[in-house]
Amino acid sequence: MKRVLAFALISTFVVAACGGGGTGGGGGATIKVGLVTDVGGLNDKSFNSLANTGRLDAEKDLKVQTSVIESKKQEDYVPNLTTFAQQKYDLVIAVGFLMTNATWKVAKQFPDVKFAIIDGAPANDKGDSENLPNVANLFFKEQEAGYLVGVIAATMAKDKVGKATHNTVCSMGGIPIPPVDRYIAGYQDAVKTVSPSTTILNGYSNDFVDQAKGKEVGLNHISKNCDILFQVAGGSGLGYIAAAKEKGVYAIGVDADQADVAPGTVITSALKRVNKAVYDTIKAVTDKTYKSGDNFFSASNDGVGYGKLDAVVPASAKSAADQALADIKSGKIKPKDTVQVK
Amino acid sequence: MEVLLGAGVLAATLRLATPIALAGLGGVITERSGVVNIALEGCMLVGAFFGILVADKTGSLPLALVAALAAGAALAALHALASITFRADQIVSGMALNILALGLTSYLDYELYGTTGTPADLPLIPDLSLPIAGIPLVGEALARQNVAVWVTVVLVVLLQLYLFRTVPGLRLRAVGEHPRAADTVGIDVRMTRYWAVLASGALAALGGVYLSLGVSGSFTDGMTNGKGFIGLAAMIFGRWTPVGALIAALLFGYGDALSVSLQGASIGDFRFPVQLLSTIPYLLTIFAVAGFVGRSRPPAADGIPYEKEGH
Amino acid sequence: MTGATQTSPTGPQAAPSVRQPTAQWAQGPAVPVVSVLISLALGAVFVLISGHNPIDAYAALLLGAFGSPYDISETLVIAVPLTLAGLSVAVAFRTGLFNIGAQGQLLVGALAAGAVGARFADLPGILLLPLTLAAGVLAGAGYGAIAGYLKATRGVNEVITTIMQNYIVVFVMHWLLQNGPMSAPNALGTPASAPIGAGAILPIVIPNEIVPLSRLHAGILLAIVAVVVFWFLLWRTSLGYELRAVGLGARAAAQAGIDPKRRMVLVMAIAGGFAGLAGMIQVSGVFHRVFDGFSAGFGFDAIAVALLGKNSPVGVALAGLLFAAFARGGTIMQSNASISSHLVEVVEAIVLFVIAAEAIVRAIADRRGTPAEALA
Repeated sequence: MKRVLAFALISTFVVAACGGGGTGGGGGATIKVGLVTDVGGLNDKSFNSLANTGRLDAEKDLKVQTSVIESKKQEDYVPNLTTFAQQKYDLVIAVGFLMTNATWKVAKQFPDVKFAIIDGAPANDKGDSENLPNVANLFFKEQEAGYLVGVIAATMAKDKVGKATHNTVCSMGGIPIPPVDRYIAGYQDAVKTVSPSTTILNGYSNDFVDQAKGKEVGLNHISKNCDILFQVAGGSGLGYIAAAKEKGVYAIGVDADQADVAPGTVITSALKRVNKAVYDTIKAVTDKTYKSGDNFFSASNDGVGYGKLDAVVPASAKSAADQALADIKSGKIKPKDTVQVK
Repeated sequence: MEVLLGAGVLAATLRLATPIALAGLGGVITERSGVVNIALEGCMLVGAFFGILVADKTGSLPLALVAALAAGAALAALHALASITFRADQIVSGMALNILALGLTSYLDYELYGTTGTPADLPLIPDLSLPIAGIPLVGEALARQNVAVWVTVVLVVLLQLYLFRTVPGLRLRAVGEHPRAADTVGIDVRMTRYWAVLASGALAALGGVYLSLGVSGSFTDGMTNGKGFIGLAAMIFGRWTPVGALIAALLFGYGDALSVSLQGASIGDFRFPVQLLSTIPYLLTIFAVAGFVGRSRPPAADGIPYEKEGH
Repeated sequence: MTGATQTSPTGPQAAPSVRQPTAQWAQGPAVPVVSVLISLALGAVFVLISGHNPIDAYAALLLGAFGSPYDISETLVIAVPLTLAGLSVAVAFRTGLFNIGAQGQLLVGALAAGAVGARFADLPGILLLPLTLAAGVLAGAGYGAIAGYLKATRGVNEVITTIMQNYIVVFVMHWLLQNGPMSAPNALGTPASAPIGAGAILPIVIPNEIVPLSRLHAGILLAIVAVVVFWFLLWRTSLGYELRAVGLGARAAAQAGIDPKRRMVLVMAIAGGFAGLAGMIQVSGVFHRVFDGFSAGFGFDAIAVALLGKNSPVGVALAGLLFAAFARGGTIMQSNASISSHLVEVVEAIVLFVIAAEAIVRAIADRRGTPAEALA
C-alpha cells in the first residue's frame, strides 16, 4: 500500500541520515532521573508543574541528568515508565495517584531501578496497596495544609476582616477524590474548630480544566454570601478565583503559591511542596539515603504549609496559623481527613 | 424556585451561553456560504491564547482583541485555502486545524509561560453596568454582564438582519444553496466563501478571547473544552440561523447554570450527585431537539467544493 | 447532496468513494508519498523555528514508534482501539452519517464490559470472555442506536446527539466510579471499578521471550477480525450494499428501493458496536478494570483516522497505525530529544492537513491548473 511504502521510504532516509538518534544510556557517574506526568500535562500550573520545578531545580543543583514525559492518556503510564526504566534511569518518578498500579507493574519488572510515586503507594492488580523495595511512596498530608488555610479563613471570617463580612467560607473541589477531599476536610475541620458559627459551603466543578464552570460555582457561592473561596480544582479552580476577584472578595490557592494569580484577592495558598518532595527524593538517590515505602511530607518536615499572606490578612490570623502549624507538628492537632460538609 | 429561575441562574445562563453562541454564529456564517468549518474549536482556542499573549506584551485590551480575532481568522484562512482553493475534504481539514490549534497553543503556552502561568493583572474585557437592577429577575440578571455578552446579542441581531434582509446576505445564502446559479448571475462564489470562513474564524475567536480575557483572565491548555463543538450543535439546533443559534446556546447555558445552582439543593433527603448534575445541559439539548426542533436542513451546497466550469 | 435531508449533518460532502478499495490505492503512490514528504518538511521547519533539531525529532519519533520490538508492540497496543474506533466512524460515514460519538460508545462498552467481567468473575474464561465481549459490543451498539433512532424517527441530527452523548457518559462514568454503584474500594488512589475475573482477561499474545514486557494482547486479533468483518459487511452482504447506496444519496437509494431511515438505527448500532468493542478491549486487554477517565481521546482521533483512511478497511487500519505511531513516537521524542510533546501534535496536524489537501500536491504534480476532484 502506498502509505506503507511512504513510511518505508521515510524511515530509511531518516535512519540513514542520523544513525540512530536519542540520548540513550550513558552509564557512568551521572545519575539519570525521569519524571512521568499524569494526563494533566506540565502546564497545569500546580501539581505537575510543581513536580517539574523540583526536577529542574535538582538538575541545576545536584548535577543530575533529567528528562520528562507527559502522559496523554492513562494507557500511556506503563509504557512511559517502562521507557525510562529500559534506558536504565536511576530514578523514575511517577507524578500522581493515577499511576499506582502502573508503577507497581513496572517496578516489579525492573527491580534494579528506583521509583517514586507522588501521592500514592504501588497498588497491585487486585487493587491493594503493596509496598515494593524499590518504590518510595511520597504522601502528603493535604489536610494539614487545608487546616492551616482554614484557620486563616476562619479567623478572618469571624472577625469580619476587610470584605469578609458575611461569616461564610466555602471551597470547590475538582472531583470528589481523596487528594482533593483531604484539603477540603482539613479546611472544614479548622473552620469548625476556630469559628463554629461560620457557615461552610462546598461544591465541585466536575472538571479540572473548565474555568468558566469554576467561575460559575464561585459566583454561586458568593451569591450565598461566601467571602473566602478555597479552590482545589486545578485549572478550573482558577475560574473560582476569578469569581472572587470579580466580586471583590477573597480566595485561597492550592498546591503552588498562587498569590500571583490574583494579587489582592488571593490571601494565601494551601501549599503542597511537590517540588520539595521531588527534589528531596532525587537528592536521596544521589546521597544514597533513598528510602522505599511510605515517605510522608507534612507540616513536620515542611512538606506542606501555607503560602504568602496578602496584606489584608491580619496579624491575628497569621499567629493563629503559626500556632496551628506548631500544634500540628507537635501532634496536638490532627486535622480530619474526611469531608464533613459535602 | 430560586435555584431554578433566580436572577443568579439567569445571569449565569447568559455568561455560559456567550462563547457557544459566538461559535455557533461562526458556524452559521460559514455553512450558509457552503463551507463546513469544524475548526471553530481551534479558532476559539487560538483566539483565547493570542488574546492573552498580546494583552500581556502590549498591555492594551483593544490590541489584544484585534490580535485574537486575527488569529482566529488566520487559522480559518488555512481552512479556507484548503477547502475552497484546493477543494480538500473539509472535515479532514477542520480536524487537522483543531489538532494544530491545540498543539500550537499548548506548546507556546509552555515555552512562554512555562510553570509560572500567564500573568495576573492583564487588561480584561470589562463588565457593563446598567441601572436596571430594580427590575425583578430580568433586571437583576442583566444589570451587570460582560461587554462581550452584549456584543454577542448585537451580533446575533445584525447577522440575522444581514443574512435575511440584505442583498449581500441573500447573495451569501445563494452561494450556499445554489452556487452555480449564483455564479451565473455574477456572484464571486470563491471570494464570498473566503470572507465567510474568515468571519467565522473571527467570531469563534471572539468567543475564545471572551473565555480567556473576559471570564478567567488567564490561559490554560485546552481551555475551550469542546465549546466550539457545542457551538456547532447549537448551529444545527438553531436551523442555521443566528437567532436560532443564540436560542440553542441559551438553552445549553441554562442547563449548565442549573448544574451549578442545583449542587446544594435537595429534595427531602435526596441530593443530586454532583456528577450527574453536569449532564443536565446535554440531556436538555437532546430532549429539546427531539421534542421541538426535529428535522433541520443544512444549506444545499454545504460542504461541497465548488468548481467553476471551464476552469 | 441536494435535498437529501437524511445525509450529512453539517453538510460534509457525499460519503467518500465507494469504489473498490484497490482501485484507489492502485492509482500510483506518488501523490501520497509526496504529501507525506511535504508535511514532514513543513513539520521540520516548525521544529527548527522552535529551536530544536528536526533530525533528532524525527529520528526519535520513528524509533519511538518502530525502533525496537517493544516499541512496535506499544504502538500496536494504541493502534488497536484507535482502529476500531476508526471503523466505528467509517461505517457511519459510509451511510452519510457523522458519528462523533465513538468516544462515548467506547466508554459505554468499557463500562458494560467492566461490570459484567467483575460481576461474573468466577465463571471460566470460555464463558466469561464471550459474555464480556458481548456486553461491550451490545452496550456500545445500544448507545449508538439511540442516536440512530432519534434521527430516524424525529430527525434529530446525529451530530448533536452524539456530541451530547459523549459528554453524558463521561459524567455518568464519574458518578458510577467515584461514589456510585460501580465504585470499588481500593488502594489505587483513583476511582475505579472492581477487577474483572481472570476469565475475562485477554491474554498477552507475544511471549516474554520474544518481546519482554510486551503488553500486546489478544485484542489485536479481535481488531483484525473486526477489519475483516467491516469489509465483509459492506462489500459482501446485501445490507452492506444498501448502506453504501444510501451513502451515495437518497436518490440512488430510492432507485434501489431502499428506505434510508430503516437502516439508520442499524448503522449507528453497528458503529456503536465497533466502538464498544474498543472499550471492552481496553478493559479486558489493558487495564482489567475500568478507571475513571481512561482511554481519553480515542474517539476524537478516530474521526481523523476514518477520514484519512477514506473509510475503507485497510485505509482505516493503516491510518490507525499512523496515529498510534505518532502517539508512541511522540513520547520518545519528548524523553530523548527533549522536545515538548505538543510539538508532535503540531507535526501530526500538518501531516493530516497536507494529506487532506492532497489536491494541492496533485495540482503541483499535474501542473494543469485546478484539480479534477476533491478527496472523495
